[in-house]
Amino acid sequence: MAKKLGKKARKFARKNLQSVAKRNRKQRSQFVRRPRRGGSGRGDERAGDGDEEMPQRAGDNLMNNGGDVASLVNGLEFPEDESELNSDISDSDDYLSEDSECLYYSDNEGDNAVNDCFVQDGLDGENDQMNIEIKKQKKNLNKLMDKDPEFANYLEKWRSESYRSKEDSDDDDMDSVDNGADSSDTNPPNDKILTRKTINEWCQLVAKEPKSPSLRSLLNAYRDACRFGVHSKSPSVQRIQSTEVFYQIITFVLSEADNIFRALLDISDDVNKGKIMNLRSAKKWKTIEPLVKSYLQNSLDLLSQLTDNQILAFVLTRLRASAVLFSAYPSTSRRLLKILIRLWASGDHNLSLSSFLMIREVASLLPECLDLCLNKSFNTYLASSKLVNDGNIKHIDFLTDCLVELYSLDVQKSCESATNSIGQLNAILRQASKTKEKEELRKVDSWQYINSVNLWVRFLCCNYKDYNMHPLLSSVVQILRGVAHLFPGTRYLPLRLRLVQMLNELSSCSQMFFPIPSLLFDCLEFRDTSQKEHGQKTKVNFSSLLKVPKNLLKSRDFHEECILSAIDALSAHFAQWCYHVSFPEVATIPLILLKRLYEQSTIESLRRPIKRLIDQVDENRNIVERKRDGVSFSPNDTTSIESFIHDLQID
Amino acid sequence: MGKNSKKKNKVILPPQLPPEVDDDEVVVSDEDVEFFRGNEGHARALARLDRKSIDSYVTRVAHHDDDEVERLYEERERRRKAAEALRPKSNKDEDLEVDPVDALPVKTLQGELVYNNAKKPRFDEISNGPESKSKDKGADAKQATQRGEQKARSKETKGDGRLPNVQPQIEAPNGKLQSKVLEEVEEELSAEELFEKKKAQLAEIGMSMLEDPESNIRSLNDMLNICNDKDQKVVKLGLTSLLAVFRDIIPSYRIRQLTEKELTVEVSKDVKKMRYYEYTLLRSYKAYLQKLISLEKQPNFYNVAVRCMCTLLDTAPHFNFRESILASVARNLSSPDDAVRSLFVNEGKHRGEATIEAVRLIADHVKLNDCHLHPDSIGVFLSLRFDEDIGKDDSEEEKGRSKKKKQRQNQEVPKQLPVSDKKKAKQELISKAREEVDAELRAVSFTLDAKERRRIQKETLSALFETYFRILKHTLSTSNSSHYIIIRGNAINVSTDGSHPLLAPCLEGLGKFSHLIDLDFMGELIACLKKLSGHTDHHSQILHDNTLSVSERLQCCIVAYKVWRSNLEALNVDLQDFFVQLFNLILEYRPDRDRGEVLADALKTLLWEGKHQDMIRAAAFIKRLATFALSFGSAEALSALITLKHLLQKNSKCRNMLENDSGGGSMSCLVAKYDPEAKDPYLSGALASVLWELSLLQKHYDSSVSSMASNILSMANLNPTQNPVPISIANPLEAYRDLSMERELSKPANKVPPLNCKKKRRSKDFVALSPTVLQGSDFLADGDELKEKLQNHFAVLRGISENERLRAELNHTLSSINLYKEYKKQKKRVKSKAGKKKVARA
Repeated sequence: MAKKLGKKARKFARKNLQSVAKRNRKQRSQFVRRPRRGGSGRGDERAGDGDEEMPQRAGDNLMNNGGDVASLVNGLEFPEDESELNSDISDSDDYLSEDSECLYYSDNEGDNAVNDCFVQDGLDGENDQMNIEIKKQKKNLNKLMDKDPEFANYLEKWRSESYRSKEDSDDDDMDSVDNGADSSDTNPPNDKILTRKTINEWCQLVAKEPKSPSLRSLLNAYRDACRFGVHSKSPSVQRIQSTEVFYQIITFVLSEADNIFRALLDISDDVNKGKIMNLRSAKKWKTIEPLVKSYLQNSLDLLSQLTDNQILAFVLTRLRASAVLFSAYPSTSRRLLKILIRLWASGDHNLSLSSFLMIREVASLLPECLDLCLNKSFNTYLASSKLVNDGNIKHIDFLTDCLVELYSLDVQKSCESATNSIGQLNAILRQASKTKEKEELRKVDSWQYINSVNLWVRFLCCNYKDYNMHPLLSSVVQILRGVAHLFPGTRYLPLRLRLVQMLNELSSCSQMFFPIPSLLFDCLEFRDTSQKEHGQKTKVNFSSLLKVPKNLLKSRDFHEECILSAIDALSAHFAQWCYHVSFPEVATIPLILLKRLYEQSTIESLRRPIKRLIDQVDENRNIVERKRDGVSFSPNDTTSIESFIHDLQID
Repeated sequence: MGKNSKKKNKVILPPQLPPEVDDDEVVVSDEDVEFFRGNEGHARALARLDRKSIDSYVTRVAHHDDDEVERLYEERERRRKAAEALRPKSNKDEDLEVDPVDALPVKTLQGELVYNNAKKPRFDEISNGPESKSKDKGADAKQATQRGEQKARSKETKGDGRLPNVQPQIEAPNGKLQSKVLEEVEEELSAEELFEKKKAQLAEIGMSMLEDPESNIRSLNDMLNICNDKDQKVVKLGLTSLLAVFRDIIPSYRIRQLTEKELTVEVSKDVKKMRYYEYTLLRSYKAYLQKLISLEKQPNFYNVAVRCMCTLLDTAPHFNFRESILASVARNLSSPDDAVRSLFVNEGKHRGEATIEAVRLIADHVKLNDCHLHPDSIGVFLSLRFDEDIGKDDSEEEKGRSKKKKQRQNQEVPKQLPVSDKKKAKQELISKAREEVDAELRAVSFTLDAKERRRIQKETLSALFETYFRILKHTLSTSNSSHYIIIRGNAINVSTDGSHPLLAPCLEGLGKFSHLIDLDFMGELIACLKKLSGHTDHHSQILHDNTLSVSERLQCCIVAYKVWRSNLEALNVDLQDFFVQLFNLILEYRPDRDRGEVLADALKTLLWEGKHQDMIRAAAFIKRLATFALSFGSAEALSALITLKHLLQKNSKCRNMLENDSGGGSMSCLVAKYDPEAKDPYLSGALASVLWELSLLQKHYDSSVSSMASNILSMANLNPTQNPVPISIANPLEAYRDLSMERELSKPANKVPPLNCKKKRRSKDFVALSPTVLQGSDFLADGDELKEKLQNHFAVLRGISENERLRAELNHTLSSINLYKEYKKQKKRVKSKAGKKKVARA
């Protein structure tokens, strides 16, 4: 009976494993979302679900997000072939057969187990209570059995019956993926308990001689460590009983595996995919391949289980060294990418950065993954840039830059998707301007739209010099102008300022002239603000706004922020053309407005920056005017003008 | 009139009957009797139908209060007597009694469900039930019109004779049973079905109306009654279907009220029929209009009612009651329908009479509302058409004709000389006859003679300009009423919206009809416009706060210029001030606030089309436009550049500005140094400046702007008489429209051609991320921290798995204990069974 009971329990565990795993992941995501307080994420285990509005992670299905924004996402995002992704991971348990040479040391580790208990977790209390409860109930049961011996028989019968029926039904819906722990395994994993000494010994052996059979055992141990908690009931997993051992295995394997494999396969640091492919036919590949595979897959398991940002970043950093090995396993690398992209979009900067570097590494090493990688990360970017607030501006900015990096890996290819995406953006804009319906307008006036425009603007800025991208540039400019045209009025000034920023960026990268001032006149208009609300200082941060809330519209802060941002944008514009012959004319009309504003404005904090801008522009204008009075070339002499600019720059 | 009452009585009367005939004196014509005899089969079929319909009828009434029915009958009798007094409107009270329930189907004793699809003819059927019922049936079955006519005739013959036979059946004893059944059925029918039914009914009536309006003219009443329904949807449907019917059946002439004398004269049957038809049509039309006018005041029906009226006005401006339609349409000009516009455009339909009426009505409307109306209410004037040549033409024509006549006579005279007197007399006779025919033709045909047309046009014009001047004066008085001292430079007020809603269309209209303005008004108008455009005395330090927006002021300049141009000879006005205004307004323009089209139009009218500019002014404008192009969007920039180029072409001396001779422009004038902010073009010193802007505009992102800039720059190398190859022939306004954002967004998206990359970069370099960001990448946690974290992780996992295990065990134990109860029960059952068995055995 005991055996049956065990089997049943195992079944139960397996059934619930998925939920446990899910819970783990959920917890992890919550850790990631929260700015970490306290040393470890342990305390946050029951973190509330309140912060749902935070950007969703990649793993979530984008389709679930109802509303128009989702449809926008669907409109904008690239299709991914999800079906292919899960097809390959069903490889059987990668347990490596161990050599009998490999010794197990059952050393004095008894004290260690006690030592271990200093690490407490939130469930300990509950576990203790449950233990007591179980004891109580068992007592009751035993009493009943004593009282009525017939019942014992009955119970026995019922158990075997119900078990059998369950077995039958279970056999049908057993998921094929994790049949690892079943008794049918021809290569029964070893369930000797791993001790610290054993691991130490193995580590030394492996470090000395990579080919030693201990490597297999060590990798098996690594596998068990990585799966710990997921396959908790399988005996092999229960081999690890102390935290020390766990730590040892993980750190050693992660830090040394790459070197070991490189030594075994005899490959240098800068191999590319082709070389790995060539290796595959080699003889030694056959022997080492299972080890590599085990290592990579188990590392992925570990990645998907871990919840702490720092450990994750550590694992990723270590794993990055052996990124090239993934090229032998396309399916595994797809799974890797999925995990990586999820981690990339999560809030922690370091983790994001290390996962991005890994993504980039993988994408540049495995060209066939690039498409998937780009599409997935673009969609993730869209999903996570749905909402922008003061907290995540930097993060989204970082994501944009990362994505630009990825797209710049293969510009030729990226241009196609850029063209597609820009075409979609354009179509949405046209639709909105045609119908002028609220729904359609809201699609344009959304962060996702603006952020994807921003992405392409940056992409253009980074690559304009090296590639001929003029057609893309003009359609992006059209979008920018169209959006500005579609949303006039003071409420949309933040949006407009963003567009102006983008135009400035484009202008500086392409050395083209954009009439920036025409978009800024609204900001420079004098507005009478109510003077009364001095008490409450509400900070208006334009970078996290598209539309100003109505209550702020008349406030002084808004007015100030408006003018200051306009001054920023204008000075960027002036700075670009300050050496040009026609700078005095460029400045003429804005200067008239600025002077008028200066005269009208009563707010001292505004008058000073305005005055400074006016003075500087005036000064620069005088310099240019003086200089050009002395020259003799005409406006149509382009080369002389260029040299004029050059001379001024030197001065 | 007698016919009026019939409608209320619901006694279906033969439509052919002349109005004088009283209801009861139905004359059965021989023809009808003959027809009935000849088609006995039909008659029998009708008779078969009769019973059923009567049954159904009876049941329907039976569940009503009998007293009520009686009362209704009495009332009907009374009304018939007081026929004269009744008006079409007054049948509302009776209609209210028409219960929607009546549209429900009725279960007869035979168990058949009978649908009563005409709700209104309930009372008709009481009187001559079989016929109307059968008619309904006929409609149901979509019988041919001929059939319908037959029935109508048979009805005619039988109608009143049957009446007494039918009435007794109302008191049929099966009432109680029926009513019970009825109540159930009533509940089952939902409002939706009712709605559907009414819809179907409307459609049927409408179809029959369109098929044969003459015989079905009375159905108009039914439709009108449907419009009194409680259900708003039904009412709306009714209104629109009536609209469709009227649109179709309204004749192309106006129906004239018959004079007493005419009524007394005996007329043929056809004429009588015709008169009846016209009469009914007119009456229903009137009722319909009254309904519409009353509904227009209700917000729920506003849209429908206005649309109906507009469509009616559009299709039948010649028909009766045009005045009332016009009056209410004029009040609702801001609605999206273009009825009045089409009225103005298609004057042929109503000989221009409606135009003058409409213009007058609008003028009154503007006056009443003190110029605070929707801009559209004036905008319709723009589609007015004035035949400029009417006056001249006709007089000339007359002259010409008389000349020709004279010539002809002159030619003829010598020829006639030899002709005998007899022939002459014959010719005179012929010409006389021709004149007579001409006169008759004119009387019959739709065209008015020139005099009449001229009169109408004159009146229209005066009403039109009265309105326009009223608006101008109003604007002037309100804008000047509030002057106060302001800081210099703030001549424009930002908040202009809504203060002068009518000014923009008014100015537009003035511009359009500038050539028709009487010369006497001209001076005053120009002065008025000058004030409105914001012109002030240069010496005064106090500026009037001009509340007009930049676009409105620009429009003033445009209008003034147009007026001046179209009356060039007669006018002695200095337009210099308007140019100064334009010169300054260019700087005040703001892309989103002001209408760019107006600016482009001003550039086009004043500068592009302007005949000659003196050199200094042209130079000032050239410089200002170039500067303007640097700060504004591509559409504005291009229109400015086109104007600039045109000015350069016209004033070849200004081309010196393209070249940088030592010491600036060679043409030194009074002012040696250029002042970009000058208020007066003559004092700006623009001739001394160089158009450096163009060199930067060559780098403009918009290819059309940059190519235009290079095109202009290329003029520098040409000699003054040469002009560069024109790259676009568009005028500033067209160029603006072409490049404006709306247009650009509506253009089909241009396909981005596949890119060809110039070079490949080594993909290992980072392009977007700064190295400082990347520095933190090789992050490695220090050992202890990492260790602790990993251990924590492990502990958590272990805790979770332990928890799982324990929970499973607990559950197992608990279920075992629960099983004990089950076990006990089973045991008991076994025991009791055993006990029973024992008992049984015993």
